[in-house]
Amino acid sequence: MRLAVVVHVVGVLVRLFGPLLLVPTAVAAFYGEWRDATGFLATAVGSSLLGHVMRYAGGEAALEAAERLRRVEGMTIVAASWMLIAHLAAVPYVLAGVGFIDALFESMSGLTTTGATALADFSKFGRGIFFWRSMTQWVGGMGVIALFVAVLPRLAIGGRELFFAEAPGPTDEKLTPQIRQTALTLWRLYTALTAAQVLALWLAGMSLFDSVCHSMATLAAGGFSPHPLSVAGYANPAVEWIIAFFMFVGGANFALQYRMVRGNARALVDDEEMRAYTGIVLAATVLLAFFLSASGMPVAEAIRHGLFQTVSIITTTGFASVDFNLWSDQAKMVLLGLMFVGGCAGSAAGGPKVVRHVLMARFTLRELQRTLHPRAVLPIKLGGRVVPEHVVREVVVFMLFYILTFALGAAIVIALGANLITGISASATTIGNAGPGFDTIGPMSSFAHLHPISKIVLTLEMWIGRLEVLTVLVLLRWEIWRSATWRLAEAR
Amino acid sequence: MRILIVGGGQVGYGLAKALAGRHEVVVVDHASDVADRFEPLDVEFVAGGGTSRETLKRAGLDQADVFIACTGLDEVNIVACGMANQIRQTRTICFVSREDFVRTVTSEESLSDFGIDRVMWPEAQLADDIERIVVSPGAIDAEVFADGAVRLLEYRLDTGSSLLNARVADLNLPSGSLLVAVRRGDEFFIPHGNSRLAVADKAVVMGTPEAMAAVQSRMNANRNIGRQSVTIIGGGDVGLRLAEHLDAVRSISLRVIERDLKRGEALAARLGGALVLQGDGTNLALLESEDIGRSDVLVSVIDNDEKNLLASLLGRQLGVKRIITRVSEPSNLRLFERVGVDVAISARGAAIAAVLHEVEGGSSSLLAVLEQGDGRILELQVPPAYVGRALRDLGPPRDSIVGAILRGKQAIVPRGDDKLLAGDRLLVFSTHSAADEVRTFFSGAA
Repeated sequence: MRLAVVVHVVGVLVRLFGPLLLVPTAVAAFYGEWRDATGFLATAVGSSLLGHVMRYAGGEAALEAAERLRRVEGMTIVAASWMLIAHLAAVPYVLAGVGFIDALFESMSGLTTTGATALADFSKFGRGIFFWRSMTQWVGGMGVIALFVAVLPRLAIGGRELFFAEAPGPTDEKLTPQIRQTALTLWRLYTALTAAQVLALWLAGMSLFDSVCHSMATLAAGGFSPHPLSVAGYANPAVEWIIAFFMFVGGANFALQYRMVRGNARALVDDEEMRAYTGIVLAATVLLAFFLSASGMPVAEAIRHGLFQTVSIITTTGFASVDFNLWSDQAKMVLLGLMFVGGCAGSAAGGPKVVRHVLMARFTLRELQRTLHPRAVLPIKLGGRVVPEHVVREVVVFMLFYILTFALGAAIVIALGANLITGISASATTIGNAGPGFDTIGPMSSFAHLHPISKIVLTLEMWIGRLEVLTVLVLLRWEIWRSATWRLAEAR
Repeated sequence: MRILIVGGGQVGYGLAKALAGRHEVVVVDHASDVADRFEPLDVEFVAGGGTSRETLKRAGLDQADVFIACTGLDEVNIVACGMANQIRQTRTICFVSREDFVRTVTSEESLSDFGIDRVMWPEAQLADDIERIVVSPGAIDAEVFADGAVRLLEYRLDTGSSLLNARVADLNLPSGSLLVAVRRGDEFFIPHGNSRLAVADKAVVMGTPEAMAAVQSRMNANRNIGRQSVTIIGGGDVGLRLAEHLDAVRSISLRVIERDLKRGEALAARLGGALVLQGDGTNLALLESEDIGRSDVLVSVIDNDEKNLLASLLGRQLGVKRIITRVSEPSNLRLFERVGVDVAISARGAAIAAVLHEVEGGSSSLLAVLEQGDGRILELQVPPAYVGRALRDLGPPRDSIVGAILRGKQAIVPRGDDKLLAGDRLLVFSTHSAADEVRTFFSGAA
């Protein structure tokens, strides 16, 4: 691994991140929150400067070498830039009076579209801060790197490796031959959908500011709400239906949505993952509505909340239309299960993704059949096409590491004093980038009261979960760092 | 007619043999050692490449009426036809075996681009023939004619069969069907009203699709024909095509045994519900552990007669009810059926019959060959002299029977008093030896 290249490219990305902070600066200034505006501006300048320094530290030669990135370098760059940008995005929170660990938790939770909050008292913060929380989710939802690949032609060549290392799901689908064009196309669709939702929410009676914040957090499958009671705080069924619809859209494959918009009407219908996703949403909604009405909720409400919460958790958004922490354990069990499902590949949703579950199910069935017919040739198929064995293996390995990371995280959080339900749901919700958990970290509470080390572990889990586990875990291999060198020539 | 055949392999040889008597046949092949095989035949052999302009000229392409390309290589066949068409506007027949080539050449616009008049795909034809037999429970042969208006089925009569011990005239077969031929041991004959059927006879019945459905249910009266389990041994071109078709039939559960793992993976990728097993179809342990003996039908379509025979006999030993086997060497056909294979079938036989029909057109009128060449089905035009006369009064030659009258798109299974109309065509079933007599008779000369 050539560290000069890594530092150089991370520098390029960080330098681009700086100007994004000008948006919340403007918002804070608009509302006359001058202290926060200054904080955003300072972070913007600081990020750009840091980016410049890193870019030049890598040297001119690194620029050229960056066009031929190696796989491991790509992974390191993606992991490192997400971590570094999370730190930079935390600076405005710190300047607004949040402690460092909580600020980093909040910033990572935003960028990874988790939506778990460490802010205990919402009344202390201005609109600029809430806008920034939602904006980090919007940027992180489609992918920081996808954004930069879209706007920066220079990154286009080496960017391929980065783009796929960041992209959610096991498939590497390209809409156009040029990666930059693909990234640009996806961002346009994403922006258009967001604008549509802002309009819909505004028409349903939400204020424009709240509409923008919610829309950015919805399509990103994020879940940050400027309201301390989340969506439940608006007590507006129309708003809940609109948000549920756009959450569902945000959890579906954007590439397929683009194809559908471009005239291939059956692109979504024919997709096996999309069908499974829809099926799971419907089944879970029915189950939840049944449990809720059994415990006394009126049927119409049980269906509405059942659907909203199902979509909210399966897409790992994490909005709450009601304090589901007060629901029965039967209903909570359904939600906890959904945290381990996740949305579709190529969407903004987190979690293991539906397609991996489909492949895992077929893998399991195949192994069962193989015990009956040891000589059978049994390829695993998806959409009528054979899935290569190495992809199947990657999926199995992914699931294994996902579960292991979850279990380890839960164990640490519980060991540090949290109760069992809190610990398990905290670990599940952060690695799945869902947001709220149960019990002391329910949708109406915050993560602020957890042990500091627990919060750091959960922050790491969000990072690991968003980058799909293996991108980060592979960096734990010692051989990568042993062979790491600053110089360019020798490392080739 | 002067016929040029490029390719002296099995198909080329079979064609030359079939055509040699009546036509001027020239065979072109680059391997001069195959010339010896053609020595006993009354044909001319030219050594050289089929895609060489000079060779084709030397072989007398300038005077040829029909050009047949049947080497083992699709590309060569296509190019040869194109060249032949360029040099002289002959009728070209191109043998193709790979599906993607078949698709390419048979698409509307390409046919003329490549200068091909007719594409022959023997593997597909064989697969389709086998498919027809498999989906007709109990039958050991099945054919369709006249775009499906007429069907033919052949059954072996077991001890319990309802057709035994009655006069043929009293059999009460469903109306619209007709018993056209019987094989008893080595004997093959057209039955009369007074004949009686015996155990182990093979009976050939022809009729309209509706009538044949009734025949089928009668033949399977005491048999459960709900779900069929089929095992295919050998996943080559024929095996794959057959498997693809059978895989689409809901009531069939399918297994395919293929020796090569890579090929097995390709099969499994193409097939949805079929179980593909990697292994040798002649491996008794594999057949036993997969319980192949409980299959209703075993189809062995390996590219090797010996292996096919072995696999089939193992299947029989394990208790498979019906066994269909591919045979490459036509002289083996009879032998296979004698040792216990229910249906021995050859790709070449069907392809050669098709080419003969194509080359000789109306004059040959040979639609199909049954029972290893003992039975013939001819399609004949009704001559003006016979129009308006009843079949009974015509008294067609011994050892032949009119199986169906094709009138427009309709097929009529005739009774003696049916009258012939102008424009009718007849499907006549005859024994091999009577075929020429039948032709003469219906040319109106007799």
